[in-house]
Parts: sequence; structure tokens; C-alpha cells
Amino acid sequence: MKAAVLREQNKPMEIEEVQISKPGPREVLVRPIAAGVCHSDLHFLDGSYPYMLPTILGHESAGVVEEVGKDVTYVKKGDHVITCLSAFCGHCNKCLTGHLSLCQSPEVSRAPEVESRLSIGGETVHQFLNLSSFAELMLIHEHALVKVREDMPMDRAALIGCSTTTGVGAVFHTAGVEPGSIVAVIGCGGVGLAAINGAAIAGASMVIAVDMVDSKLELAKAVGATHTINARSGNAVGEVLELTKGGCDYTFEAIGLKATAEQAFQMLCSGGTATIIGMIPVGTMVELHGVDFLMEKKIQGSNMGSNRFRIDMPRFVDFYLSGKLHLDQMISKHIKLADVNTALNALKSGEEARHVIMFDQ
Amino acid sequence: MATERIKSEITGTVWKILLAEGDAIQVESELMILESMKMEIPVESAVSGRIQSILVAPGDAVDEDQDLAIIEID
Repeated sequence: MKAAVLREQNKPMEIEEVQISKPGPREVLVRPIAAGVCHSDLHFLDGSYPYMLPTILGHESAGVVEEVGKDVTYVKKGDHVITCLSAFCGHCNKCLTGHLSLCQSPEVSRAPEVESRLSIGGETVHQFLNLSSFAELMLIHEHALVKVREDMPMDRAALIGCSTTTGVGAVFHTAGVEPGSIVAVIGCGGVGLAAINGAAIAGASMVIAVDMVDSKLELAKAVGATHTINARSGNAVGEVLELTKGGCDYTFEAIGLKATAEQAFQMLCSGGTATIIGMIPVGTMVELHGVDFLMEKKIQGSNMGSNRFRIDMPRFVDFYLSGKLHLDQMISKHIKLADVNTALNALKSGEEARHVIMFDQ
Repeated sequence: MATERIKSEITGTVWKILLAEGDAIQVESELMILESMKMEIPVESAVSGRIQSILVAPGDAVDEDQDLAIIEID
């Protein structure tokens, strides 16, 4: 099969012929139909998050089951599925207490002494987050996918595989936004827009979108923002505090920067909660004013929207098909696998929402 | 002889150790792979030298800033 292989950080990926192993007992071979190009892929391409190389990036996809391992009963050939990097073992403390997205068990990967799922001429290709979706085929653990209804368009379904689940999940699960709350979201990329959409679905009375790109603020309005602030003014915190007359009940940071994480905390009212969704580079420290804790302000992380994706993703599909979840506007372009480097460069500019790779069928 | 301690940048689990005590190692060479939140994270040496000791084993849980190995600097 062909795949976009990353051999060196900050260098373009090359389309190469990659060998893929046969499904093990609990593995599923998936033929992706669509794969989103996500800003998180960029973090691993530019090295702000280290990863073993060579690898095949991509972690947001939807496709069709091609073959299943002998012990797999959940799906069969031909089923439509969304993949998810929150592969869960199902029996560790995190899984059994309902925190499947925090499962750390390595058993959903192949053990180091076993043949790797992906290789080139005998050389191991490290599977990215147990998925590697910039490829014509994916070999994944059965707990890294969910079945979805077949009337769901695959390109929209792919977005649910990461950005939607991360953004909407942060609002529903990590923060637990109540109807009538005042919400601000910093960063209007795919995840931030999903958080805005999620806050609107949750019934927030005010949803403030903060970004430095006007076109993204327009998109934010289309998916549920009631107010927008262009942070180029340099005083986004002050503007939010003025607009809300005292601060937000919930803020969400969807960029991954120290400065914006601190701003998310500064935008809170007393008792408010800031949720950091963005991937802040390894080694970066975040500074807060200690006295603010006397006001019961809280700050927390969110990983993949604290998802239980086998429950969440079919619900998000229903939300899309019933008009509540706005995924059409999230896709700025459909591309071929060979154009994946161009799509990642476009993400760097911050001007476009999301490119989705469509595979030949 | 001067030594350098290689530390973990992240909380995770030792997935695979790629070199052994006594092996030569170069700057930016990979010594081991950690797994954290399903990510395979390489641990690289900041110096060239020889591996004096490896302080962890596959499957060990490691904390951020924990010593993983000691390198005798060339």
C-alpha cells in the first residue's frame, strides 16, 4: 500500500510503498475513505512533540472494514467505522472507572518483540498513535474504532475521529458546561470550532470566540459563537471581562500556547473553570496568580475530550445528520494523499480550517 | 570521567531499550522508547560517550525528570 512516510522532522513526507502485516486475533484492517489533516499532526512533524521515526502521521479518519482478526466480533467486513486514537484496553483502572481516554495500557499496540504492523523492506515503521491514517490501509486494534451508520458521509465522519470529539467532548465531558453558562473559546481551528459548536449545543447563553484571523471568527459565528473578539487588539482578556461583566464560567484554550493557557484562566469569573485542550509543547511551564485560587478558579487539562468514543461518536453522527453539529463548514478542501504536505503547510498559516484526504475507491 | 544523566521529559512507561550498558552512543542517538498516552517517544542522548548504566527496564513506569541512564562523556 502507499502511505505518506515521515523520515525526518521538518522535512516533507514522501509517498512510499509500505508493507502492512496481517490482522492479529484482535486487530482490524480498515480501508480509509477519508482522513483529516489535523494541527496535532503538525506538532509531530515540527518536533514540538517527539515521536519515533520513520512514522506515518494521521489520526483522524473514517473508512470501511476490509478484514478482521479471528477473535473480533464487534465489526465485520464492509462495516463503516470511525477510528480513534483513544484505544482502550477495557480492564485497567482508568477504563473500569469510565475514563477510557486515559487508558495507558500498551496492549492495544503490538509488543516490541512481535512483527510491527507497518514496515518498509524489513525496517519498522512506527505506527502513529496506534493509527497512522495517511495511508491506504490501517491495521488497528478493535478497540480503536467504532461502527457508524452508513448514511453518514465519510469526510464528515473523519472529523468526528479527532477534532469534533476533542472539542465537543471537552465541553460535554471534561468541563460539563451547563445550560445558560458563559463560555469563551480561544483558538478557532478545527478543535476550537468544535468546542464552540459544543457550547452552543449545551445551551450556553454566551459563546465568545477569540482568534486572530477574521475568516475563522466568521466560521465561529456560523457554528454557534454569539460574540467574536479579534485578539490582534492585544487585550482579549480585557475585552472578554468587559463583555461578560466579570468573566466566564467556562473557558477553553484550543491552541496549545503558554500565553493563551494563562489568558484562559484570566478570563474566568470566580468559580469558573479553564480547560486546556491545546497541546502545549513538552517542557513549557504555565504561570498563574496564586491568589486567584481563593476565588475558586480552576484549571484542568482535556485529552481527546475525555471521550467514551464508542458512545460519543455515534451520537455526534446523529447530531450532524439532525443539523445540530456543523461539520460542512469545517472542511476547506478535499485533497489527494500526495498533497498532504501542502495541507500541513496550509495549517501553519492558520488561514484555513481543514483539508481532508479522500482516498481512491 | 565526566558523566551526563539522561532524564525523562514525560511521565510514561519504558517500552523498549535500544542500546545496552557499555555501548557507544552519539549525540541525538536514540537510547530507548517511552510510551505515554499511546505515543512512542524517543529518548535521545544530549552527549556522545559510552553508556555507563541504564537505570530502568522495559515495562517500568517513569516520572517526568526521572533519571533513565548515565553516560560517560567522551
